[in-house]
Amino acid sequence: MLTIKNLHTRYGPIPVLKNVSLHVKQGEIVALIGTNGAGKTTLLTTISGLLKPVKGSIQFDGVTITKKSPSEIVALGLSQVPEGRQIFTPLTVEENLELGAYQRTSRNDGKAVSKDLEAVYSLFPRLKERRKQVAGTLSGGEQQMLAIGRAFMAKPKMLLLDEPSLGLAPKLVDSIMKTIVSLNQEQGLTILIVEQNARKALAISHRAYVLETGKIVLQGSSEELIEDSEIKRAYLGKDYATITER
Amino acid sequence: MPGNKNVEYLSSQEWHQWQMELLQSTVNSVYRRVPFYQQAFKNAGIEPSDILSLNDLHKLPFTTRKDLSENYPYGLFARPLRDIVRIHTLRGTLQKPVVIGCTAQDLKHRRDLAARLFQTCGVTKEDIVQICLDPGLTTLGQELKESAEAVGALVIPPDPVPAPAQARVMMDFRTTVLVTTPSYAKRIVREIDAGSLPLGALTLKTGLFVGEQLSEEDRSFFKEFLSINSFSSYGILEVSGPALAFECEMQDGLHIAMDHFIAEIVNPQNGKSMPEGEEGELVVTTLTARANPLLRFRTGDLTRIIKEPCKCGRTTMRIAPISRRCDNIISIRGIKIDPGEVGELISEYVPGPVPPYILVIQTENFLEKLEIWLSINEEIFSGSLPQLHNLIARLEEAFEQKTGLSCKVRPREYRTIEPLLKKGRLVVR
Repeated sequence: MLTIKNLHTRYGPIPVLKNVSLHVKQGEIVALIGTNGAGKTTLLTTISGLLKPVKGSIQFDGVTITKKSPSEIVALGLSQVPEGRQIFTPLTVEENLELGAYQRTSRNDGKAVSKDLEAVYSLFPRLKERRKQVAGTLSGGEQQMLAIGRAFMAKPKMLLLDEPSLGLAPKLVDSIMKTIVSLNQEQGLTILIVEQNARKALAISHRAYVLETGKIVLQGSSEELIEDSEIKRAYLGKDYATITER
Repeated sequence: MPGNKNVEYLSSQEWHQWQMELLQSTVNSVYRRVPFYQQAFKNAGIEPSDILSLNDLHKLPFTTRKDLSENYPYGLFARPLRDIVRIHTLRGTLQKPVVIGCTAQDLKHRRDLAARLFQTCGVTKEDIVQICLDPGLTTLGQELKESAEAVGALVIPPDPVPAPAQARVMMDFRTTVLVTTPSYAKRIVREIDAGSLPLGALTLKTGLFVGEQLSEEDRSFFKEFLSINSFSSYGILEVSGPALAFECEMQDGLHIAMDHFIAEIVNPQNGKSMPEGEEGELVVTTLTARANPLLRFRTGDLTRIIKEPCKCGRTTMRIAPISRRCDNIISIRGIKIDPGEVGELISEYVPGPVPPYILVIQTENFLEKLEIWLSINEEIFSGSLPQLHNLIARLEEAFEQKTGLSCKVRPREYRTIEPLLKKGRLVVR
């Protein structure tokens, strides 16, 4: 569904992604793990069209999107849930969700949008309870649910999730991860997830890529990578120490 | 559809993308972690980011057995020793042995691949698999044992008992799958043929041949005599274990495990890529190896790529059976010997210039035996027979210690070996 070949990006003179190639098949959850500054978010931002690559190509669902605008890319069915949620805090929960379907309402897709709104509410009953509440007053976990719900409202074929667990309490992280799995299994969404919590990301994904200083240095099935000693040392941090010291 | 649906039936586009991703991550990894490759990249004037597609493979430096030996023991490891869970040491005539390390993931890959080989041969948990291999192929045997167990079969592991005892085990234990070399199988056949065992009691249905090339004559012979369906596989311990490539049910060439390796054919003289379908040296790049990733390893084996798609439906590249070697290296019972390097060993025991010698391989009851015919000179024989016998004994012992292969050293007059040497023959079979 998504095929990236030899992607190079830079911020001004500083190269960030260096010859990155990866693919995500329809129905897969693929994780991208790596340390801070490895280029994970840059990769998602480049896929969603906010940053233009210097070299390389990105194909989504058979269409080359390398030079397309973010709105064109969303219209093709690729939505990003940005890091830090970035919801519209003065607006209500429902208004935020409706904004997610902005491109569809302008296409007179009203009935389907209402149906998807209900789908989001059934996925996140908490949001339904707070539908008229101003988004800025939601807890971190609720805001993350809202951000995912908003991306879902664009009726995407594929979601790009940037650090969905960032700043959330462990219990909420589990709940968000379960939601991601249900989006994949029940709604059929293909997902590329960037996550610092490598253990969680590897636990819910089918495959994963390891990004180091802008280069992919390892890849494989998540089942296999979670057992890799180097991944354990570098990315599974505290949890791994706890297990080995038990 | 038989085989592994996930990996053996991808479209060419899917293969290209997947192999390219794996190649790029392998190149990034070795460049960062293996000083040998960092230097080789510098010498070749390339950077990892120059590898934009599989067509750029030719830009990468080669790796040879000599490189492996020169970086003994851990020089080519891409992982710290704490990640390594097994080490294989491959002996031979090189100055230092070749050491191959494996992480737990590497072992799993090797096991899964060999299990795929067994499954392709139709082996199931209903089978009794007997592995009969010469000591030189012990490592191969161990990996095959683990994989056959992973398939769920009952496994009779390699045991250093002679062929008659193996034949008896085959009868008594009702073996259904025999894993061996063609020459070892012939030794077993000889036992049966000698009338010591009843042919009718055999329950064999499949032969899986490893370690040596299976000829079509051998296949027909085993079909006729043992009524077995013979499958052939190809693997080199430096790279892959026993299942780098293997035959499918069509038995028309060997399918490369493209999810783990890239195979290419190069001209053995100049290293340039050969046109598809033409014979050349098989060069293999590992795509999933963690401990010992190897770029463009020169196998020394000559083969060609079969262009036509296989009737079995698998989309993996096929190679023809190995026709011969492109270097002087000979393989005797699984141990690789470079005849040229035998001289270095001799020079350690004989003062002065290395006396002329040739290697003579004799087959006795389908068992290859090695003799070194050494030209007598005054340094070797000064008139004292006990001294000569002592030198021969020391040479034989040193050769066995270095290579793991026993040999006989025969003193010969120069005129005996001169005609062969004049023809440029260092090895006589």
